Amino acid sequence: MILPQASVPVREPESPVAAVPVTDKAHEGVHAWGGLRVRRWRVVIGLLALATCGVAVICLRFGAQPLTLSEFWSALFWMPAAKEDVARVIIWEIRFPRILMGLFVGASLAVTGAALQALVRNPLADPYVLGVSSGAALGATTGLAFGLGSLAGGIGVPLCAFVGGACAMTLVYGIAASQGRLPVQTLLLAGVIVNALCSALMMFANSIVNPASLYRVVLWLMGTLGAPSVPVLIGLGACAVGATLFLLRQSQPLNLIAVGEEAAASLGVETRRVQRTVFFVSAFLTGAVVSVSGMIGFVGMVVPHVVRILFGADHRVLLPASALGGGMLLMAADTIARTVVSPEEIPVGVITALVGGPFFIYLLMTRKYRFIV
Amino acid sequence: MSAGSSERAGAAAVPAYEVRRLSFRYGDRRRPGSGGSPDWVLNGLDFSIRQGEIFGVIGPNGSGKSSLLKALAGLVEPQEGAIRLFGAPFDATPRDTIARQVAYMPQDLSCDFPFSVLDTVLMGRFPYRQRGMWSVLGWERETDRAVVERAMAQAGVTQLATCEVGRLSAGERQRVLLARALAQEPRVLLLDEPTAHLDLQHQLDVGRILKLVHGTLGMTVVLVSHDINLASQYCDRILLMKGGRRLCLGSPTTVIIRSNLQEVYGCEVLIDAHPETGLPRVSLPRQDRVQAGALSQF
Repeated sequence: MILPQASVPVREPESPVAAVPVTDKAHEGVHAWGGLRVRRWRVVIGLLALATCGVAVICLRFGAQPLTLSEFWSALFWMPAAKEDVARVIIWEIRFPRILMGLFVGASLAVTGAALQALVRNPLADPYVLGVSSGAALGATTGLAFGLGSLAGGIGVPLCAFVGGACAMTLVYGIAASQGRLPVQTLLLAGVIVNALCSALMMFANSIVNPASLYRVVLWLMGTLGAPSVPVLIGLGACAVGATLFLLRQSQPLNLIAVGEEAAASLGVETRRVQRTVFFVSAFLTGAVVSVSGMIGFVGMVVPHVVRILFGADHRVLLPASALGGGMLLMAADTIARTVVSPEEIPVGVITALVGGPFFIYLLMTRKYRFIV
Repeated sequence: MSAGSSERAGAAAVPAYEVRRLSFRYGDRRRPGSGGSPDWVLNGLDFSIRQGEIFGVIGPNGSGKSSLLKALAGLVEPQEGAIRLFGAPFDATPRDTIARQVAYMPQDLSCDFPFSVLDTVLMGRFPYRQRGMWSVLGWERETDRAVVERAMAQAGVTQLATCEVGRLSAGERQRVLLARALAQEPRVLLLDEPTAHLDLQHQLDVGRILKLVHGTLGMTVVLVSHDINLASQYCDRILLMKGGRRLCLGSPTTVIIRSNLQEVYGCEVLIDAHPETGLPRVSLPRQDRVQAGALSQF
């Protein structure tokens, strides 16, 4: 390639880097796609919210106790009708809290998964990668082993789990943080190490407790939504909404960090502060969720990927869409878990993996999603 | 220091960058009084960069040129010395303010998530984001979108707007990074190894980029490169570094001379004139001649 003449390379007509004259005319037609982004966001999130409500209603319809359609509708809308009391109690006092719980747990897991994947810039990350869940599991195991389940008005086990999770979170942060920074690789390794440590301690605890406690521990670990008490529900709801709103505010910083930490810093992102706060908020929410529902796998890793395939990687869409998608998935999975072999129940984690796995494989194979680690 | 800068400001514009006794090393952030130890990456650098010039930094591996660029971008905190950006001390300037004046263009962009080109270029508007309680998601305003559209047209990536960044070629990705840098509307563009892993055609694109940002947009450009010939062809002044120190600073014809390069790189080089520009051009000698030369010295 020979340069035509001068000391600076001369622009060729077909040059990709063409100097466009800086005039006001040059940006006509911009507003079309500019407005479209916000409008698209409203449409996507609006439709997902509607779908979430629809899924919730469908989930209310099914359960161990069969209801006729007319009973269901009259009880759903509090209409005065025959047998209304039974149906109303079933729908609003038994099924509704559990479905709300599914929504909160699923949304929290998916939104933390999405945020953590960006934070550690690794598509394989999920809420459990930070080691918080193992700490919570260890706390719950200890609580169950020492018969603390009935403590503090029946929320002894969640309380123990939460304390365990908080300890694990502090430990991981203490190992990984250096000079206010959270190096990604160290953070992942610290999570793995704390996971291993807690698992070992948990196995030790399991090996010395009596078989009845062990059975409860195993059930707890498999993850189930159970019948939540009102304080638990309110607490979890507050955590989920608050943390999600916080993470939404970090959407654009997370976008930038996902593309490159150094470039993000050069664009004015306070990377240390964002990393620290996203870590603590995600870990806190994970700890809260695991404390009340055990280890429900799969939602936190796969839902963000599905949302990315459908709507792109921009966290302003990804985070709210993941929250709604995760909520929908877990509500539906839990409904399946409590109806398929009713009156017995399958652990909901089994359903999320069985339903979500093949769907994800299908998306991977048809949409040619780039998945490089 | 302030007296010197005000004198120059009286004569012409303030320099884009003033670097005074800049020392930096990785590891302990603040340990004053241990200067001169061998692990300093930057060691008492002193120079200024004029407004509107293309300023090149060259030197061997480990000479500290990349660290210098990071210091100029505000990505590392030097332990000693001071940087002034258009006369304002760097330490006291908020990061957003720096980002509105200085765009740092990394070598490449690697991402495991399917961000589109438009997503990526929109990130360049982050320093201009709306603040306040109610701008939760931080959507760009109409003015931001106009700037982004123009930046994408200038960098020639308008057609790629909806493509996934990770699937583009290296040259296309570089133009996306350029568009993002232009969307920052900076006064200074920092380029880190702009021609690394690019073929000849795309190296020519780098020339076009420099012409665009320097000639058309009037930006100051600082470029760090292994490619001495690139620096020679495009830079107004070149800083030659070795061991974190300034060895030589001046126009290409005064810096790129045999004695300087042999001292810095420790090997023999051939320097002739570029056939079209007449600027110095560096080549490596034939391997057998080097060995013969080396043997003959014994």
